[in-house]
Amino acid sequence: MAPVEMVTPATEAEALAELRRGPPEEVAIVAGGTDLILDLEERRLSPRRLLSLRRLPWHDHRWDDGRLTIGSAEPLASLEADPEVGRQYPALAQAIAAVGGPALRRQATVGGNLGRSAPASDLTPVLLVLDAEAELLGPAGARALPVDRFLRASRETTLEAHELIRSVRLPEPRPSSAYLWQRVRPANDISQVGVAAAYGAADRRWRLSLGGAPPRPVLVPEAAAELHGPRPKPAEVEAAALALSSHPALVSDRRASDEHRRRIASVLCLRALEAAVDRPAEVP
Amino acid sequence: MSGTNPAFRVNGRPVPLGEVPGDEVLLDTLRWRLGLRGTKEGCRSGGCGACTVLVDGRGRLSCLSLTRELEGTEVTTIEGASDDPVGRVVQDAFLEEVAFQCGYCTPGFVMAVTGVLREGGRLASTAELLRHLGGNLCRCTGYVAIARAVERARERLP
Repeated sequence: MAPVEMVTPATEAEALAELRRGPPEEVAIVAGGTDLILDLEERRLSPRRLLSLRRLPWHDHRWDDGRLTIGSAEPLASLEADPEVGRQYPALAQAIAAVGGPALRRQATVGGNLGRSAPASDLTPVLLVLDAEAELLGPAGARALPVDRFLRASRETTLEAHELIRSVRLPEPRPSSAYLWQRVRPANDISQVGVAAAYGAADRRWRLSLGGAPPRPVLVPEAAAELHGPRPKPAEVEAAALALSSHPALVSDRRASDEHRRRIASVLCLRALEAAVDRPAEVP
Repeated sequence: MSGTNPAFRVNGRPVPLGEVPGDEVLLDTLRWRLGLRGTKEGCRSGGCGACTVLVDGRGRLSCLSLTRELEGTEVTTIEGASDDPVGRVVQDAFLEEVAFQCGYCTPGFVMAVTGVLREGGRLASTAELLRHLGGNLCRCTGYVAIARAVERARERLP
């Protein structure tokens, strides 16, 4: 078998052209590579070419009136280093800090995390409650898709064969947000359950999501619907926790039992809402 | 596209990368291509930190790094640690505190500690420094001695 080739296009046009050179299954896209490498090692994927995003200008983030756009190949550590991320999107800062160890975060990217649709991703539950959009670049130009529609299932997305994720956009600051998780081991482990909560100042609605359980992180609108206004009443918070912890995604697998996941989800929901409400949204 | 003569440096020595397949990880390049066996293979999936090296002075998991992605960088392994003034201090501190039992995690810890101390670790609290070591495991439960070594190294930074 011929050795796997590494290609490193320097422009978007070159990268897109590279994607169209030969059948799609022959190419795998490398952002940080931390998750892809595991599939290469186990031969779950056997591409002939690796398409590296390393030379593309997609390695930083920018602010536009408090709204954040994240380059898809930006390492998590460089978002972690910007204190504004924690002020405008506390849930995102908390999720980033939960990913692997510091060395891994210098490599792992938001785009890679989305593109690989990792089932137990800590970032995805947060991207869901922040109403994040994936900006996809293809031969016909760019299109934007809400993360909820971009992700299909574990390891499955709606990304077309000739498309790349260029950026991830967060439409409005969500200072009233939080992400909490439960693991066997706090450092460098995979979450059994993750709960994200965020209050949208524009539409005055809450979002709640669940992660850590298969097949992929999900929004739980029936739980969020229990909450009214920026400072929900204790009874509303309890109703939301009950609805969240009754979600059918909380099943048993090798990492946790369904009963454990339900109890944890309920407690995390109460705590996440407490933390999010403690950071009241700035009313525009 | 890729440079005509792709290369990186390992412990100061230039290493051509033209023959390295795109899917080879740095851990294998170091251990099997370059014979630098000081870098240890632990979990091979980013969960233990035993394979930590420095890339341009910062800690990096060699098992999850594609070698060809590191063109143009400077890699420092445990074999090169004593040539780095901070690495030297860290090695001495680990020895003086006997911060190991079986020693398998030690190269990874020494490189991770060197990386964080090089990044302005002098000003960080011990708790902050230890948080940066959350990706490194020691199965002999030697963390108390490792924490003492980290503190000792910080106090002696050049």
